[in-house]
Amino acid sequence: MIEKELPQEEQQQDISRRDFLGLAGAVAGAVTLASVAGVHASQASTHAPEGEHRWGMLIDINLCIGCKYCTYACQAVNNLDDDMIYNVVTLETTSNGDTYYLSRNCMHCEDAPCVHVCPVGATYHRPDGIVTMDYDLCIGCRYCQVACPYDARVFNWREHTGVSCRVPAFGTPEVDPRPRGVMEKCTFCQHRIDAGLERGLTPGVDLSATPACVVACPTGARVFGDLNDPESPISQRMEQHDVVIRLREELGTNPKVFYVPPQDAA
Amino acid sequence: MQNTITIPKFRIGSRSYDPFPVWIALLVSGLVFGAFGGYEVLRYGLQVTGLNNHVTWGLWIIVDLSSIALGGSAFVFGAMVYLLQLKRFEKVGRLAVLLGFLGYSTAGLVLLFDLGQPLRFWHPVVFWQVHSLLWEITMCVVLYLNVLIAELIPIILEHPVFSTHPILDRVPLLRKVANGAQAFAHFLHKLGPFWAIAGLTLSILHQASLGATYGMLTGRGIPFDPTAPVLFIISAMGGGTALLFLLSMLVFRVMRPGLVDDKTLYDVAKLAGGILLLWVYIRLWDWAVVNYYSVQYAVDTQTALLDKVIPFSLSFWIGQILLGVVAGFVLLYAERVKNWKVLGFTAALPVILIVVLRWDYNFSGLVASFSWDPFTPTIWLHSYTPTWQEWAVATGVISYWLLAFSLAARYLPFQSTMHHE
Repeated sequence: MIEKELPQEEQQQDISRRDFLGLAGAVAGAVTLASVAGVHASQASTHAPEGEHRWGMLIDINLCIGCKYCTYACQAVNNLDDDMIYNVVTLETTSNGDTYYLSRNCMHCEDAPCVHVCPVGATYHRPDGIVTMDYDLCIGCRYCQVACPYDARVFNWREHTGVSCRVPAFGTPEVDPRPRGVMEKCTFCQHRIDAGLERGLTPGVDLSATPACVVACPTGARVFGDLNDPESPISQRMEQHDVVIRLREELGTNPKVFYVPPQDAA
Repeated sequence: MQNTITIPKFRIGSRSYDPFPVWIALLVSGLVFGAFGGYEVLRYGLQVTGLNNHVTWGLWIIVDLSSIALGGSAFVFGAMVYLLQLKRFEKVGRLAVLLGFLGYSTAGLVLLFDLGQPLRFWHPVVFWQVHSLLWEITMCVVLYLNVLIAELIPIILEHPVFSTHPILDRVPLLRKVANGAQAFAHFLHKLGPFWAIAGLTLSILHQASLGATYGMLTGRGIPFDPTAPVLFIISAMGGGTALLFLLSMLVFRVMRPGLVDDKTLYDVAKLAGGILLLWVYIRLWDWAVVNYYSVQYAVDTQTALLDKVIPFSLSFWIGQILLGVVAGFVLLYAERVKNWKVLGFTAALPVILIVVLRWDYNFSGLVASFSWDPFTPTIWLHSYTPTWQEWAVATGVISYWLLAFSLAARYLPFQSTMHHE
């Protein structure tokens, strides 16, 4: 091997203005490229595909009594331990100071941030618009949890064995437990919808094809159905209300869970 | 060629000791501590951490982001040496390659523990989701780690043990393997400009995306920040170069005196200082746009709440702006300062700045998040305290970084003997 001696002038050479401008130019160019790439990535569509069905849910806040049956039914059907909650019920306040119950599950956004950010495509839109999970793909990075503006994602922190304590003595959970270390979420009880459609049932009308939280609601505050079908229960019910809102609408996520606001707040 | 390496001695009274064995033993004990924590995490899952469904990224992400940023000098000096042909920075550039490799391998190591499913770490490489920033980051980091390995191999193989060890003459097969390895090293070395272009492109892409990872979180008030990508790139360049200057002082001035002249080291400091001042300038405009020229209820409320539980605003003004200004000016005028102790201390400040910046981005939005009440929205404060397992893993990976650096500083040849094509 021959060692190359650099000329003395080169050894002593300063970073000349030209060199500095060259480096600055290269960096600026690359920064611009990166920014443009970043903008493209963040603006790329992860919009829900348009299929035959577009399942949605309407929650009438005026009818909700905060009994949490939706929470428990969800835990029983999806085999969730007590510390895993897809359906969260909280006591909130209107601007008039009146209190009301806000029950909140996954919004199944049409432009879902969780679908957008998942690095492996484990969270994805089904053709019917349901945002669901492939638990075999999930690496447990929890970016979807950070990105979700509705706090709807739940991480499986520990191994779940046995059966959810919410499962009644006469029943069995309908979904297998997920492995430790993956993200979980409400799927609008997709297994009930799929099995029901196979049997010719109508989700939202026939109870065994309808999400458990809707079935268990004792006051009928939750309505489910096909947003594409004007005759579906959800479309009919939305027709009856002048004002229907969605949570954090300003973020442009286009949730498919709608709310009838409290009467005094509407 | 400079072959003698001076090891700094520890003096107690009139006697001097070589601190190296004690230092290495300390780092090995850090690794052992990390192994205990790592075992717990892999055995029992992330339930042993202090993370929860609200603060879902914690201490490890800070280590991960910071170590990637502190490896930022590798792409800067790759471009300077191979694209701008500033060959007098080659030896410093070799140290930069080492720091880059250590930064990225540390990040990979800590991420392995941070995944809920560590055995699926390879999924992003196979199952592409090209709209995800995290996918892009993963691909860039994986590719760039390979680039760094390709740049590091020739440096390691130049060690005399691979060409002059007596056993090579006694075992002809080993001599053949050694010759093959040397030829391979030459081949990789010749591709230097290619690695420099690849490194520059990949680094800027993923450093920007790391900022955008937080910057695009529209649902979280404080991290949502369109300037974050640029801030992450420039802070990595400035902080990484400052760390390179600090360690160059140790590796070249103290351990290999004369191998790199002081003028070159001053220029490294000047570069770091200039970039840091640019960073402060952009960061101040970013602050002004978010906090001064616009009034955002969410940001104001979040900031006020955060200030009650953590020194959030203080960490911005002192941990980012003040450190950036002080370090920027002192390093920019390093040649006039001339006091190496002051310069060394100052060069450590941007390292703190990098950690504080990433800490703030990660925690500010996770600890304080919006409620979903459509009528009277509020900000919720969550809490997170790292457990001993998290500290152990963090200690372990930092020990790995320091151990690998210490061994390399002592044994790696930073003087290239290869032809420059």
